[in-house]
Formats: sequence, structure tokens, C-alpha cells
Amino acid sequence: MLRRLVSVPPAYYVFGLLLLTLWLARPNMLNPNVLGIFIRQVVPLGILVLGQLLVMRVRSIDLSGGGVILLINYIITSRTFPEASGLTFILMALAIGGGVGLLNGFMVAKRRVSAVIVTLAVSIILVGFVQFLSSGKPPGDVPKYMNEIFNISLGFVPLPVLFWVVCTGIMWLVMQQSVYGRYVEAVGENAEAAAFCGVPVERTVVMAHVLAGLIAAVAALVQTGSIAVGSVRVGLDLPILAVAATILGGVVFGRGEGGVWGPFFGVLSFALLFVVMTVFGIGDPGKLIAQGLIILMAAILYGSRSKRG
Amino acid sequence: MIAFIRSGFSTRRSRHGLWAVPLVIVIALLAALTFGTDQFASGENLANVVSQAMPLLIAAIGQLFVILVGGLDLSIGSVISFSTAILSLDGPAVVLIPAVFVLAGLVGLINGLVITRLNVHPIIATLAMQYILLGITRILRPVSGGEISGILIAAVQGSVLGLPLPFLWGLLAIGLAAKILYGSRFGLHLFGIGGGVAAGMDDAARNYGIRVERNIVLAYVACALFAALAGVFLAGRIVSGDPNVGLLFELDAVTAVAIGGTQLSGGVGSLHGTVLGAIIMVLLANGMNMANISPFVQTAIKGGLLLAIVGLQSRKKMGL
Amino acid sequence: MTDAEPIWLIEMQSISKAFGASRVLKDVTLRLRAGSVHALMGENGAGKSTLMKILAGVHRSDAGRILKNGEPLHLPSPREALAAGISTVFQEMSLLPNLTIAENMFLGREPLTGSGSPDRRKMRAETAKALAELDLRLDPDQLVSTLTIAERQFVEIAHGIKADASVLILDEPTAALNAADVEVLNRSIRRLKAEGKAIVYISHRMDEIFDMCDEVTVLKDGQYVGTKTIRDVTQHSLIAMMVGRELSDLYPVRAASFGQPVLELTAFRASGKARPFDLMLRQGEILGLAGLEGQGQQKIMRSLMGRFVPAGGSLRLHGQALKFPRPVNGIRAMAQLGVGFVPEDRKEEGLMLGLSVASNLVIALHSERPAFTRARGLGSVVKQMMDSLHVKAASPAIPVGSLSGGNQQKVLLGRYLARNVKLLVIEEPTRGVDIGAKSEIYRLLRDFANVGGAVLVTSRETIELIGLCDRLAVVHGDTVVAAMPAADATEHSILAAALTTSEVAA
Repeated sequence: MLRRLVSVPPAYYVFGLLLLTLWLARPNMLNPNVLGIFIRQVVPLGILVLGQLLVMRVRSIDLSGGGVILLINYIITSRTFPEASGLTFILMALAIGGGVGLLNGFMVAKRRVSAVIVTLAVSIILVGFVQFLSSGKPPGDVPKYMNEIFNISLGFVPLPVLFWVVCTGIMWLVMQQSVYGRYVEAVGENAEAAAFCGVPVERTVVMAHVLAGLIAAVAALVQTGSIAVGSVRVGLDLPILAVAATILGGVVFGRGEGGVWGPFFGVLSFALLFVVMTVFGIGDPGKLIAQGLIILMAAILYGSRSKRG
Repeated sequence: MIAFIRSGFSTRRSRHGLWAVPLVIVIALLAALTFGTDQFASGENLANVVSQAMPLLIAAIGQLFVILVGGLDLSIGSVISFSTAILSLDGPAVVLIPAVFVLAGLVGLINGLVITRLNVHPIIATLAMQYILLGITRILRPVSGGEISGILIAAVQGSVLGLPLPFLWGLLAIGLAAKILYGSRFGLHLFGIGGGVAAGMDDAARNYGIRVERNIVLAYVACALFAALAGVFLAGRIVSGDPNVGLLFELDAVTAVAIGGTQLSGGVGSLHGTVLGAIIMVLLANGMNMANISPFVQTAIKGGLLLAIVGLQSRKKMGL
Repeated sequence: MTDAEPIWLIEMQSISKAFGASRVLKDVTLRLRAGSVHALMGENGAGKSTLMKILAGVHRSDAGRILKNGEPLHLPSPREALAAGISTVFQEMSLLPNLTIAENMFLGREPLTGSGSPDRRKMRAETAKALAELDLRLDPDQLVSTLTIAERQFVEIAHGIKADASVLILDEPTAALNAADVEVLNRSIRRLKAEGKAIVYISHRMDEIFDMCDEVTVLKDGQYVGTKTIRDVTQHSLIAMMVGRELSDLYPVRAASFGQPVLELTAFRASGKARPFDLMLRQGEILGLAGLEGQGQQKIMRSLMGRFVPAGGSLRLHGQALKFPRPVNGIRAMAQLGVGFVPEDRKEEGLMLGLSVASNLVIALHSERPAFTRARGLGSVVKQMMDSLHVKAASPAIPVGSLSGGNQQKVLLGRYLARNVKLLVIEEPTRGVDIGAKSEIYRLLRDFANVGGAVLVTSRETIELIGLCDRLAVVHGDTVVAAMPAADATEHSILAAALTTSEVAA
């Protein structure tokens, strides 16, 4: 019975619990319009999580997303490329994300360097680079059309939220239906055995990092649309939140019981958590503690499970 | 002596790692800075360099303990900030300073127990601890401020017989670490445990009757205590509590340890290499400051250094 | 002490041990006298090493108890075993490579100086003394990683011979030693015996057993066969105790004729010093690599998958000359040529235990296709394989780790059979599998050969190779020392073929 209970990703309970708390504390906030706004704010996180869950499924991690988001945000808002169209920005963003992902993947899969250290170092390099370019000052305004697209709503469903759901659906399809999904599953469960099955283990891990980099680029575009003015701090806390949301959603190094929708609810839980904490007047320090505790608790839960199994 | 130095260029003859390479780099940097700049060799700048080096040196020594057993502690930056925040609270130094070490020891104990008993990966456990402790620190001291006991300030900024006191802090930390690593069973066992982990025989040390889990927990406690010592020193230098002062310290410490020739896979490394690694980091920073290189670029260069140095070390395991 | 009621120094009573579903020891008894050398004998996998690991505190027994001088011992970890005076030299290397010889010798029980430091001078001096007793001229400050295999083996032995230990376990101490080294070791053992210690000696070398030992206990399939004094046994009677089993109808009928050559190895050299040999495997044939454990069988097999790089030789597959595959993509490259490789360690290298039966069956089929294409359903393949292999599972969706060992092994084989391979390379066909499933697996392999497949197989269980194979190649010291039709082979003749040529240079 207990085993069955823990096989449901914690995100679902936490989400339910937070919804209940909010309903008891501020029932008037539980209407689609208000919730839509809250959820819209976590869409960049929600998209970033799709890459995080992929690399965590192959027992790696990607903490470089913050640097990628910051760099792309800087390039768009600083008017370094004043003539650039939206499509150019998108291509540039994808090139940056893919390039960073390729570097991460090469270092992790081929050079066998610790993924945490590689991706943290890459993030530090990118952040230092952007802060140097901008001298630490906010770069400039976000192009109007990006804000406008971000603010479109279809009924009470904001467009970014819909986009997030579609992205998550695509990731679900890839994991469920593609050969690559089977590779990821096999490598995460037992890389040695996967190699003996003929699965290209290193290539699978490199590809996971490249995809995670591309996804971070998409998250960066959405994040940029969500703010009016560029910033040199934007998105820096997203990678660690993405790790927390992914673990909360039942995906942890090499194991994927939570699938794609568990982490989806992990992100929704964070959206509600921030609302609830604001309602109760808990500030940023409390959020940091909550992030750390969630990572720790979820990792302990899965750590002790893998020991038993 | 010659044989000892030769062993520092080889990973075959000793388990100290490639510590002679950083020694050469330190000598080259010292020469370049002395002859390439006017300011470096001045007494004032040298005292400044020593004072700048100490927190990183002490923190890197702590990091060395856990790296030797094949672990990693990402929470030490937060431990440092936390320590300065505690010391900036209202209260007598005789209470606050012991409290810092007790609390830091507790943090190390929790890290170690979560890793060994609850089977959580060291990087994840200490990353979580980094955030929890950062949150607590920001509650204690949301922005830089508070007052630090005059005794502590004097102990960090003063000098005895013309010798700046930071030197003594460094000697104390190095001496303490040398005693633990080379002058105790515990130190030898850390090397033994790490050697087994790196060779893929996690149980080898246990077969010798070594209490593997307990020693690993103690390594994390030692790491946190050294981080607290670095925090105490830093509080005396910046004369306030600062929730951000320890930011990225954990990675600088890893870089220093790795540059010093210590293998991140465990079992191979040295205290003198780590000291040299920390000196390299600080000399580089000092040189870049004198060359007016933007602090942001310096951060990026440090990141590149870490990436390059860990990229040169090979290991079997893929992933975290 | 009277003869009628001897006091045993160590008495292991009714020891049983299972790893998961496979029972390794059943109700085994071992009694050791002070001042005697006790041989522990049995075939590969008879349970000798497991029994000794229980005595050394590495494993815990599921049932039974251990007495020392009549007092019960509790041995939850090696620490307690060492404290009880039980010291072990294990078969596999357990020295820590980054420590010096002296540090390895004293690890966990270092002498201390007045200031609490490990007393390096004392460690060095005592190590030098211990090494000298074994005629070794090694610097105690040398790192173990710089030693040769034979030197390491001696350091292991020196480590095991501790002044305060009363029981010494030597698990195949001579595997890496040459004749002169063995003589040095024997002298030490006689001296320890004279000092009143009890020594357990595991070896496959008959001459050593008769030369050194006073008593012998034989195990077979994890069960106690008997204990004899060495004067009461001969080589012949000892081997009869170890083997002595009937070939039953467990095994299917052998092939009458073979087809074209599938695999040809020419002038193959597994390692630099080994003698080159040729090996040929034809359609319809099951060829077994027999011999003692770890004599190079695995190197030969893994060089076909790129997991081991041989020192020389050439490879032909279906008559076509090939380069030996490379580590990075060897398995995929050979899979495309119709070669399936079944690794011995089902849990670590074979199955993805947390994934479903279906996933494990079809993953090799998926891996033939580009990553970003739709994964085929393959439900019919899964059903067909589960039916034809008689896999007993509630559903194809349950984790393969929840199945019994036999069913797991069938799933592992099924993964390769589903791919229509032409050559199966199998390291351990039935490890940890119960007798009923064994018989089914033998039949599956024979059916595969009968429709034109070829099988190269090795096993710790010699009897299995004799029953299953058409032809046997006896491997010793990284080379094939004898070849024989399996129908004429006996465990005795294989053991004899391996052991009579057993002088291998270290």
C-alpha cells in the first residue's frame, strides 16, 4: 500500500494540498482568470523543466539554463542586433541553446566530467560574459511584439500556457512513441545493460543535452516575452527550480515514473507555492528554503526507495 | 627531496596528484607579477594578497576532505555566508564564534548522514543544503550589515611583529589539516576509502574493517567546519555580515583543489597541492585586478578554468 | 583434547545462503582444527568463496551459526571477523591501489605514535619483515598500483598473515604465482601451521592440496559432500567427490551434422604472452569454452564485441574477413552482422530490471532504427517471444526484476532470439536459474542451432557445457589447451586437460 502511494509522484499531492490551502485562505483567488495569470508566470520554468527531465532521465543534470536564458535575453533586449527580426532572434536563440547543449553533452558523455560541475561552470561563464557586456546594468526594452504575443489570451487560457501544454504534449509523444524515448528509458535504467542491447549510450546522452539546450532557448524566448525590460538577473534561479520541480514530479536520476506530466504538475505546484507563500507573507528566503527542502525530501524519498528495490 | 618533487609530476609514484605542476605555475605567476607590474611586490599588496587568499585557502582545504572520498560539497558557500551572518548578530563573540562552529558542524553532519544513510547523491544533498542555508541566512541578515566583534576584526586585520595575522590563520588551518590528513588514522582512511571508490571497489575499505560511512560523515563535518573558519575570517575582514559573500565559493574551492592536482574521483590528492591551487586562484585574481580586467570577465574566466581543469581529469562514471 | 571429542577452533554449522532466488549454500558444515591446513574443494560455483566470505564477515548467512572454541561468533561485517582473529586473502584483488604496501598491510589497525599519528616507521619496519619472510624484496613505501599482479598477490598474502590472527583463509592464493613463488608460499604456510593457526586453503591445483593440506572438505552445488583426512583420499577419489553427477535427460540431443563456418578465429592471441590458437564454429553447432574460472574465456568472447582488445589474430564471420570491433560501437556493429551477445551478469549488464518484460525483449529491435523515428509497437513480437520461451509473467508490462531468475534469463535470451541473430555468444546461459528453467534454456539454444544458428558459450558449470555443447575447447592461461567432442568429455578429463598444463608464467 505504501509502495503504491509513493509510486504516485509527490507533485500531485503537493498540488492538491496547496490548492486546498489556497481555497481555505483566499477562496476568491481560485478563479480561472487569476490562476491563469499565476500559471502564465511559470511557463518559462515549465518549458525548462522539459529539458531538465530529459537529462535527469539519463542520469545527468543541466544547470546551465540560467546562463542560456540570460544571454538570449541580453541579445534581444540590448539592441546589439537592431535590424533582427523575430525569426532571426529565434534562430540565434536556438543556435546558442544547441551549442551550449552540445558542449555540455560532449563534456558529460565523452569526457565523463561531472554534469553538475560542467553545467555550473558553463552557466558561470555565460553569466560573467553577459554582465561584462552590459556592465551589470539592465540592457534595454523587450520588443513590444514579444510582450503582446505573451499577453494574448484565448478565453481565460493565456497563450503561453497553451504553448507550454503543447510543448509538454510533444515531449510526451517523443518519450512515449519514438525510438529515442526507448533509448532514454534504457540508458537511465542501466547504461551498461543498454550498451549491451546495442543502444548508442553516449549519443543518447549528448542528444539529451542538446535537446535540453534547445528547450532552454525556447524558455528564454518565453521568459523574455514575459518581461518589459531586459535584466541581468533574469532566469538565474530557474535551473534549480527546474530540478526541484522535476524531482517533485517523480522523475529522478534514471527513473521516470512521473513521466512528463508529473513534472508538469511539479511546476504547477511551484506556481501555487509562490502564491501561497506570498499570501502568508513569506518572502524570498522562505522560497529558497522551500526549494532546498523539496529537493532534499524528494531525493531522500527516491534514494531510500532505490536502496530497497 | 628530488624524488619527492619528481613524484609531483607523476600520478604513478605517489597519491599526492600532480602538485608540482601548480608549483611551477605559482612560481611563474609570482615571477610574472613581480617583474611585470610595479605594485605587486609592494608590502601592502602582498599583505592584501595573503588576506584575500585566506578564505579560499581555508575553504578549499575543507573541500579537499570530501573530494578525497570521492564526494563534493556545494553547500560551503552558504556555510560561509551563514557564518558571517551569525557573527553579525547581537551578542558577545565568545558565544557567537563557538555557535558558528557548532552550527556548521551540524550542517556537515546532516550532509554526511543524508548522503551515507539516506543514499542521496552528494551533489544533490549539498545543493539542497546550499539553498536551505542560503534562505536561513537571508532571514538572519537580508542585506549586508551588522557589527562584528572588535576582537575578531583585530585578529584578522592586525599584525604581530610585522607579520600580518592572516598568515597565522593560514598556518593554523594548514597545520590542522596536515595533522588530520597525514597525522591520524582518519586521514589515512579517507585516502583508502577514496582509492576504493575511484577504483570501483566501494567495499574494499570496508573489508579492511574501516567504518566507511562514519568516516565519510566526518569528512563532511570537517569540510563544513573549515568553511565556517573561512566565514569567521571573512567576517573579520569585511566587518559585517553579508548573505552573498560566500556566493560561488564552493566552485572556486573545487577549482582550487582540482588545479592543485587532486583527482575529483577520490583517493589521489594533497594538501600542499590544494594550498598551491588556492594561491594560483588568488594570484590570478590579483593580476587581473591590476590589469583592470572587469570582475565579470574574471568570473567568466574562473568558470572556464574550472571547465578546463575538470575536462582534463578522466573518470569512468558518466552523469552527475 | 581427546580424539573422541575434538575441540574445533572454528565450527561453521548448517550454513545456508541465498542471493535472491538462487540458493548458493545449503546446510554446509566446516570444522577447522588449530595447527592444520584444511583444503576446501569443489567445482566452480560450488559455494566455496561464498562460505569463506561468510566466515570473513563479508556476507551474512541466512541460517546456521559459527562457533570459535565453542563460543558463538557474530560476524555482521569484516571488522568483527578481524577482531575475532579471522584473516582473509581473497581471490579477487582487494588492495587499495593508492596506498603504499605498508599502509595496505596495516589499514584499519595502524599502530600509533605518542602524538596519535600512524606510526609509519613501525609500519614500514614490520612490513619489511613480513615481506622478507615471503622472500619479497619490495619497498614498503611503494604504491600498490605500481606492483605486478604476482607482487600484489604476495602483498595480499603478507597482509593476511597477521600475528594476532588465529584463522587464515587463502582463496586461490596461487592463481597468479609461478612454481618458485608457490614454494615460498608453502614454506610460510607450514610455519603458520606450526604456530598453531588454522588455515583454509582453496586451490584447484591438486599437487598443492596433497602437498600442503591435512584435511579436505568437498562442496558440490552449495551442499556439503564430506570431510576426509588427506591420507584417506587420492586425486581420483577427490575429483569423484567433486563431480559425480549423472547426465540426465536435462540436455537435448546433439546435432548430427554442421553447416558452413560461421565464426573463424585464426592465430588469436588474447594477451601478449599467450600462445596463439585457432577456433572455428559452424552453423548448427554449439561450441563451449571450458576450463577453470577466469582463464581467458571471457577475453576471447568479449573480443568479439569490442569489449576486449586482443593482442593479435584475425576474425572471419560467414567467411568474410573483419577487423576486431572497437569498444565504442562494437556491440552495434556486430549486431548489424547478426551477432548477439548475452553478458554473464544479468543484473548489471544484461537486463534493465526496473523496465517491463516487453521493453527488455524489444529494446535490441528498437536499437536497429534511427533515434527519431516512431518506435514500432512490437506487441506481437513480445507475445510471440513470451509464448515460445514460456516466460511466466503476469503481464508483459510488469518489471522484469520481479520475475524469477529463470524467467529473467529467458527474457534476456529472447531479446537476441527476437532479432534473428545468426551467432549467439553467451557467457553464462543459466546462472542463478532453477533446474526446470535450465532444461528449457538448453532446448531453446539447441532449437536455435538446429535451424542454422551457431552458439559460442562458456559457463562456470563444466557439466552444463558437456551436456549442452557439441564440441568443447578447454581454455587455460588465455589460450586453448585442448579441444574435444563434448560427447567424449568428462569433468575429469576437462579438469585434467586444464590442470596438467597449468604451469602458467605469472
